Amino acid sequence: MCLTFIAKYSANVFGTRFIYENNHSFMGNNKGKRKALTQRQVCSRMNFLYQASNLMAHSNNNTLAAYYGKLCRNVGTKALMHMSPALKRTLCKRCSLPLLPGVNTSLKLDQKQEQQQAIPVAAATATATSTTSKRRHRRLRSKRNKGHNQTAAAVQKDAAPSASMDEHARLHLECGLCGSKRRFQVDTQNECWPERSEAIVQVIRLDEQKNADAAEGGVEAAGRVEGGGGTAREQ
Amino acid sequence: MERETETLKEFLTDLVVPHHRCNVNIIPDHITMLHGTKNKKQHSRKRRAHKSSTLTRREYAQLGLNTLPTRQMRYEQALPLHKLWRGYLREHLELREGDEVPQVHEKRYEEFSKQLVKLDLHGAKLRVVQSKCPTLVGLSGICVLDTKNVLKLLGEDHRVRTVPKSECVFGMHVDSLEFIIFGQHLNMRPAERSVKKIKSYVEPFM
Repeated sequence: MCLTFIAKYSANVFGTRFIYENNHSFMGNNKGKRKALTQRQVCSRMNFLYQASNLMAHSNNNTLAAYYGKLCRNVGTKALMHMSPALKRTLCKRCSLPLLPGVNTSLKLDQKQEQQQAIPVAAATATATSTTSKRRHRRLRSKRNKGHNQTAAAVQKDAAPSASMDEHARLHLECGLCGSKRRFQVDTQNECWPERSEAIVQVIRLDEQKNADAAEGGVEAAGRVEGGGGTAREQ
Repeated sequence: MERETETLKEFLTDLVVPHHRCNVNIIPDHITMLHGTKNKKQHSRKRRAHKSSTLTRREYAQLGLNTLPTRQMRYEQALPLHKLWRGYLREHLELREGDEVPQVHEKRYEEFSKQLVKLDLHGAKLRVVQSKCPTLVGLSGICVLDTKNVLKLLGEDHRVRTVPKSECVFGMHVDSLEFIIFGQHLNMRPAERSVKKIKSYVEPFM
């Protein structure tokens, strides 16, 4: 399982594509064609620069990584082309260094915020809390609830009592170069893709003899228990 | 809010003739402030957001992002970048195995050379073929930085060298293809290069 995930991850890092619209290719005239061509070339250039900046960040060369990230952004602004938002957020907002937690950035739990929230929870919930971040968060959650209404409700029942400690914990990601912070709030209702049932296509067992003895528990359960040893989950 | 209504009341009572002042009765519900405290709050929030989001040029320089150390980087570190760039070159110029560079008399030569100018040079292995300055001739390395007037080449002796573009002719060797690029064509900012219109004819300087 581990191996497949690593392979997937690296493919994600170096094989990511920018989303770009190819509307112009429908047009038959020469001008539309030319525009589509230039757009495609800008796209491939931005893609290359993003990958280069990730590469430099992995080899601990922050100056060049930030430079390539910045250039990638600038090319996008000059050519009026948007990066896909998920990719855009992996670059630092201030210095456009690709944020890789554990390599050049640190991911920490906000101690102060937690204490502040823990003490006046009962008192403060009633009084109006109208800071922008909280409001934004509330809106976000309501949206998500609409989306995965059935699954979220099921998860909530299981998770709410056990993980109430982490529920409102705040994390922040601090850029190692310029020191700017991005804040997150832990959301236990948010589920990972591999946890869903659609994510598992096939469960492969390497040593069948061992599993044949213990297979009575069902294929799914066996896969989960010995997951570290010999199962592979694919998309 | 309360303090401002107080000042307003004071002002209104001052306007009345002194011996009638005791009869003045202002109901606070009837006062509507046009711009109260809200305006101030909005202003401060805007300022804070602005401060955190951008990096000024001075801060940028203080972080050391404008300077590249001459001797720190190893040549081996730039090799994966070069490998990545080779893939990018194939994608950009739509090259296939066994393709050749078009000759001057061919039809697609102009289109091809336009694409070549728009190519991103970060990670390319370049060699100075010809130059006004004789000491620059023969320098080679992987290009790591590209500015308006200058290329920074990382040589095999692990040194970063600065080469001016406009004075040089660069040679580029990829697999079986050989490119000769006049540095004059490259004289623009790297971000602008993919957008800017290019003159089809530039006078050679030699």
